[in-house]
Amino acid sequence: MDKSLNSKRVTGWALFWTIAALLYFFVPIYGTLDFSLRMKRGEISLMAYQIVFSDPRFLESFRYSALMGVITIIVSVLIFVPTVYWIYLKLPHIRPVVEIITIMPFIVPVIVYVFGLIRTFGKPPFQLTMTPFKTDILMLAGYIVISMPYMYRAIDVGMRSIDVRSLTEAAQSLGSNWLQVLFNVIFPNLRIAILSGALICFATVMGELILGDFLVRPALGPYMASIGKTKAYEPAALSIISYVLTWISLGFIQFFSHGGDTQQQITGR
Amino acid sequence: MLASPLWNWIGIAPFFVFIFLFLILPSFNLFTGAFYNMQGNFTLENLQVFNNPFVLKSYLISVQVSLITSLVGGVFGFFVAYAITVGKAPRWLRNLIMTFSGLAANFGGVPLAFAFIATLGRTGFITAFLKQVCFAGAASEQVCPLNPYDHGFNLYSLAGLVLAYTYFQFPLMILTITPALEGLKKEWREASANLGASSWQYWRDVALPILLPSILGATILLFGNSFGAYATAQALTGGSIPLVPILIGQQIRGDVLGNPHHGYALALGMVVVMGITIFGYTVLQRRTVRWIKA
Amino acid sequence: MSFLQLTNINKKFGSTAAVDNFNLAVEQGEFISFLGPSGCGKTTTLRMIAGFEYPTSGSITLQGNDLTFTPPNKRNIGMVFQSYALFPNMTVAQNIGYGLKIARKSKEAIEARIEELLTLIHMENMGARYPYQLSGGQQQRVALARALAIQPQVLLLDEPLSALDAKIRVELRHEIRRIQQQLDITTIYVTHDQEEALSLSDRIVVMNQGGMEQVGTPDQIYNFPETEFVARFVGQINLLPVEVVNPRDGVIKIGDHLLRAGRFGKLNGKPVRLAIRPEELHPGYLEGSNNLSGKVGSITYLGSIIRIRVDVDGNPVSLDVFNERKFKPPSVGETYQVNFPVEASWLI
Repeated sequence: MDKSLNSKRVTGWALFWTIAALLYFFVPIYGTLDFSLRMKRGEISLMAYQIVFSDPRFLESFRYSALMGVITIIVSVLIFVPTVYWIYLKLPHIRPVVEIITIMPFIVPVIVYVFGLIRTFGKPPFQLTMTPFKTDILMLAGYIVISMPYMYRAIDVGMRSIDVRSLTEAAQSLGSNWLQVLFNVIFPNLRIAILSGALICFATVMGELILGDFLVRPALGPYMASIGKTKAYEPAALSIISYVLTWISLGFIQFFSHGGDTQQQITGR
Repeated sequence: MLASPLWNWIGIAPFFVFIFLFLILPSFNLFTGAFYNMQGNFTLENLQVFNNPFVLKSYLISVQVSLITSLVGGVFGFFVAYAITVGKAPRWLRNLIMTFSGLAANFGGVPLAFAFIATLGRTGFITAFLKQVCFAGAASEQVCPLNPYDHGFNLYSLAGLVLAYTYFQFPLMILTITPALEGLKKEWREASANLGASSWQYWRDVALPILLPSILGATILLFGNSFGAYATAQALTGGSIPLVPILIGQQIRGDVLGNPHHGYALALGMVVVMGITIFGYTVLQRRTVRWIKA
Repeated sequence: MSFLQLTNINKKFGSTAAVDNFNLAVEQGEFISFLGPSGCGKTTTLRMIAGFEYPTSGSITLQGNDLTFTPPNKRNIGMVFQSYALFPNMTVAQNIGYGLKIARKSKEAIEARIEELLTLIHMENMGARYPYQLSGGQQQRVALARALAIQPQVLLLDEPLSALDAKIRVELRHEIRRIQQQLDITTIYVTHDQEEALSLSDRIVVMNQGGMEQVGTPDQIYNFPETEFVARFVGQINLLPVEVVNPRDGVIKIGDHLLRAGRFGKLNGKPVRLAIRPEELHPGYLEGSNNLSGKVGSITYLGSIIRIRVDVDGNPVSLDVFNERKFKPPSVGETYQVNFPVEASWLI
């Protein structure tokens, strides 16, 4: 048996810790899955899921959050991509400042941020909490800020990996103006980065509770919280649905960004 | 193409306008609100809120929970990360762990609370399982000693919170510390063996000193992560356990402290804690990177 | 029994043989190089001597003691790594003293030895610096000092200079040889750079695809290569396909040129080639030597050498001429005469 320093044998300890980790990952999920299938006494059934999927409030909040997610992605991309591009091309010296700004949502916990948001925009002169539509705008802004660390960083990393200056100069020498450079050259080359940022953004919006709860909008998070107060089996089903959704989103990210800095994308650090 | 500086700044104007409106302004309001009283005068009296026993209790419990989960999550996560890097777990196992760490680190809030209720609640999966482990006791009656609730365990308590938080804490540790562990060059291990050192001497003299800033930094990150968490605690305990985020949540809904500006001070206190943790993390990460890149 | 003996060393990774039947007897104080292209097994063999890999079969003995499966931290063999592998959290002095600290030497002994070694590598006042503050060459010298501090019986170096600039490389390799001779320490040096191997070694082991091609002094390796691989790998070589005219006297023919080979084995009808080093060819016609002519294909300036390629009957022949002022290079396309001594050529 090769006991040399560099033998490829797995040590017993290594196996122990990885199994422990896998257990911790899986047992709660399995337990939840099992629980969610036992709504009908004594048999395994999908009743909890059926109830959830036929609940109009679920559909409404799912639709709301999904829509908000998509809009958040679009607006984020439209604001951040030109910004990152501009900084790389023309204003490299303000990068440190912008980096700190994009880290701020980590330093200011969501609950504190929502506190500030409501206090600022719930009163004159803004009064954005008066109508649903205006509140939705506030929600959108909130979502963009909350997902900014991930989205911005994804775009930043993507921009870093393409040679922005040369591409721009090449396009300009062939006659493009700024808008054309942005849309025909920069965006297409950032597809993967934008996609991974978008997927995290989407998962974040779908799972977000605080903003929707305190601004009283029909998001998925508050819906789930309210179900949790009165039902037993449906929350478990919702939990599984949520887990699967996150899994799919992150799975897509891994799939599309082979060899990319996934760790940074997923934790934003 | 205009090269004028003004033109440059226009390109990033939308970003800065947005940031100013929706990040700077709310934050600014919050922080200045902490230093003004209801009459609109500058004052430091809001900081008195930290003398309020209720507030102090929340801070204490928040710090407690965060300390415990960052240590538990940190140690657990470190050993798992060690297992998949230096411990040479097979590639597929390592990929599995990394993938699920990414998943679990992002799985929190309401669904996580539900998952733990479904698993360790009174009628949860594990509880039910443990309740069924029975032996024949004296007088041939069934003795089922493993029901955790019989031993005082309650999911909706501090213990339950720690268990739930650990679910996303230790994967975060794995994700954060794995790059540092991978940065440990194989040659350092070999060089130390070449110079006569045993495995544990290598760890004591070379590997741990190199990793220490990273480990510390990651643990601090975990602390901050736990300190700022709201949704999981709220969904699991319904606000019955006083934590600082919960307290702030109650402030948003209604003025429980009797003075809205006290709420601002509370929020400020939280940001200060988070700011220190992020700062500590960044500084310590930089040190490790410098050594590993050398 | 020699000082360090490797007998029938084999190393298999799965079904691939990384090292195949390696045998070597090293005398005390010898400087041996393992020379070969990437993947030839030289580093693997070195690592087996150090103990980082164990052979699949075969044995390694040092001063009569069987070392084959001894763990690396018990071998008292010093190693210098290609990437230096200095401990980043320790100063230069701490790095150098580490082996002694593990061996539990007294504080005074350690400090004295560190001073000694810092002087040896000419870095007397840099003990308090950290590796990231040093240049590549300085780091390598510290790595060398660190390996020597424990007074090992054998010093191993794994391509220690390949990460450095050319000028530093030359400087440092002289340093390494000087120190080695001063300390009279048995040394094994792995490299793919033949200049290093030729200029430093007492003997060279040329390796290829896991096997040993030839073992000999630099002179033997260069002037009497035993296989085509060695002839090609070490130095430049011209290989001309020739027709055997007289197998007993080694008379061969290429085109219209009748030549004689200096060394040849049994010529039993297999196709042979005439081997001749470019530096042995000279311009012009010389009575009594081998003579060739052809059209000049290209002229390349290599600094101190001009390499002229002449096409002889469709085959390229390179000759190296010193770039002296008095030499007038030919023009491309010109018909050119070259000659070389019979003794300098051989048949492969």
